[in-house]
Amino acid sequence: MIQQIDNPVVEVHDLMVSYGQNPVLWNIDLTLPAGALIGILGPNGAGKSTLIKSIMGLIEANSGYSRIFDQELNQVRNRVSYVPQRESVDWDFPASALDIVMMGTYHHLGIFKRPGKKEKALAMTCLEKVNMKAFANRQISELSGGQQQRVFIARALAQEADIYFMDEPFAGVDMSTEKALVSLFQEMTAKGKTVIVVHHDIYSAGKYFDWLIMLNMHLIASGPTEQVLTEELLTKTYGGKLSMLTDIGELIKKSDFNPLKS
Amino acid sequence: MEDFIYFFSFQDPNVLMVVVGISLLSISAAMVGTFTFLDKKALIGDAISHAVLPGVCLAFMLSGNKNPYWIVSGAFITGALSTYIISWISNYTKLKEDTVIAAVLSIFFGLGIVIMTQLQQTGNAALSGLDHFIFGNAISIVRKDLLVYGILALTIILVILFFYKEFKVMVFNRSFAQSIGLPVKRLEFLFNSLMVLAVVTGIQAIGVVLMAALLITPAAAAKFWTDRLDRMLIIAVVFSLISGIVGAYISFALPHMPTGPWVVIVLSLIAFLSFFFSVKKGVLTKWIAKRNYQRKIHSDHILKALFGAWEKGKQGLKTENIFNIFPGKNFKTQYSINKLNKKGYITENQSIIKLTESGLTEAKRIVRLHRLWELYMTEYMNIAPDHVHDSAEKLEHIITPELESKLDRNLNFPKADPHHSIIPRDPKKP
Repeated sequence: MIQQIDNPVVEVHDLMVSYGQNPVLWNIDLTLPAGALIGILGPNGAGKSTLIKSIMGLIEANSGYSRIFDQELNQVRNRVSYVPQRESVDWDFPASALDIVMMGTYHHLGIFKRPGKKEKALAMTCLEKVNMKAFANRQISELSGGQQQRVFIARALAQEADIYFMDEPFAGVDMSTEKALVSLFQEMTAKGKTVIVVHHDIYSAGKYFDWLIMLNMHLIASGPTEQVLTEELLTKTYGGKLSMLTDIGELIKKSDFNPLKS
Repeated sequence: MEDFIYFFSFQDPNVLMVVVGISLLSISAAMVGTFTFLDKKALIGDAISHAVLPGVCLAFMLSGNKNPYWIVSGAFITGALSTYIISWISNYTKLKEDTVIAAVLSIFFGLGIVIMTQLQQTGNAALSGLDHFIFGNAISIVRKDLLVYGILALTIILVILFFYKEFKVMVFNRSFAQSIGLPVKRLEFLFNSLMVLAVVTGIQAIGVVLMAALLITPAAAAKFWTDRLDRMLIIAVVFSLISGIVGAYISFALPHMPTGPWVVIVLSLIAFLSFFFSVKKGVLTKWIAKRNYQRKIHSDHILKALFGAWEKGKQGLKTENIFNIFPGKNFKTQYSINKLNKKGYITENQSIIKLTESGLTEAKRIVRLHRLWELYMTEYMNIAPDHVHDSAEKLEHIITPELESKLDRNLNFPKADPHHSIIPRDPKKP
């Protein structure tokens, strides 16, 4: 069940990505609607993070391409925001929560310019939206996992983008915070923004998202939640990797070069 | 003392030149080093500082004199080459980066020593003092050197200030920096070049190998004093300046004393003091906090013993009985009794210690926390009543009033603990 739409905000065309010698995504071809809260579902190692990293140009694709707002990523970077996984950074870095959120204003500032009062005010409003205003001056390593996650989301808000890619924003977050974040995302999509979230809890996915992408190294489904969340598709997604894809991956890993790289 | 006044009054233009030179290079090294340290590239800095030696020697060999332009170029080329080789080998083989760094570092340094030994055996008088480049000699800086090294250092400082926010976001979170469209690859190349340049500026004054210390140690010491990047940069610069100038002074005052080792000694001393005495993260602070905590535990236990007697209807305990509860800890017990006395929690009269009213409230609070926690463990964590005492013994000292009221609410304001002892409450509070 892969539903393609007209005038998509994101178009992924025949995308193939490897990590080193290891192919992780096979021929992903999908389109996503504007103003939707979109979940990417799949088991560990299914390539969920890889998909958004590749769309964000952080990993080079072997073949295929992706477009945002029908343009190259570089043309629309100011309208796109990316939230990396919380574990991907060293939180012992000497900075306060406010410092980190201010980083969200950097790309509007351009090189050489320092953030000023306006940027600080924006960062404070964003911290307030995730209920972290009281922690603005706290050293980031003193924050709990859930609070660090909220700092990352506040930084994304400070980018004032139209489309948000979030890698596991609910990891290490308690239930009440997760609910608050979901309603924040729903507010954003109601205003026409698109929020794409890597998620792995199938039970809450049905409640949270308007649109679901199901992934297990290849695309299993992409469509409105109520049409996609079926037992058949879930079994396909979570019922183990396609053994053929794993075997081929192993074969490529052992060879001296990656034949998928053009 | 005469030396001291002569040096620090800067009446000698040569001394002034040396101080200006060493200050500029200390500032640039500390600034680059702060980012190097935070980016966990300290080992690369070490490799560069070894790898500039063959460049210096080759420059000597080709030019036949100590022309600073040649030396800087030679040092920069082999220094940069080493970083390039390290990243190339790590990317294209399965060798771990630290292995590659160790190998590249020793190969370059070994090569440098071979060339230097060869050069010294030619007996060319123009080549005397070549070994200054190993341990550094700030006093040998002349006007021509200052111009070259000073301009280099100033360039480094300005570039870091210009790209402060870009380097900050790149070091903290590379993928985010890339996602907002920063040219991360080019910034990284720029930063690596700055790192090589920072080492190169110090080769004459500090020496090739020891520049690694001037790069990393100020930042490592500064991290103990602050948790903001801008302040960390300033503190690192101050530490670096102090050690640079002191090092230069010592090699001025004591003839034939090399500068580099003294700079490193002063720096290490600063780092050592930071490690021990930093207000937030120092070893001493942690030690004092731990000792205070242990003292509090001991006082709490005395209060609990007195409360136990009170529960049985006794009016206090004999002083010697209290000492007997804690065998071998007489000194500690006496200290705690004095402390509790001062706080007004207990009174001592004719060798009998009694709880005062406030002492009773405090003792009740500790016992209450102990029993509430025991009850929580049996009710919510399904732990047998005879297994809960040890944990409660530890947690009774740290549970905050907020947690206490939460426990109370969760347990629905219980009357007794799992051992059927009454949970003591303060009649004044509802």
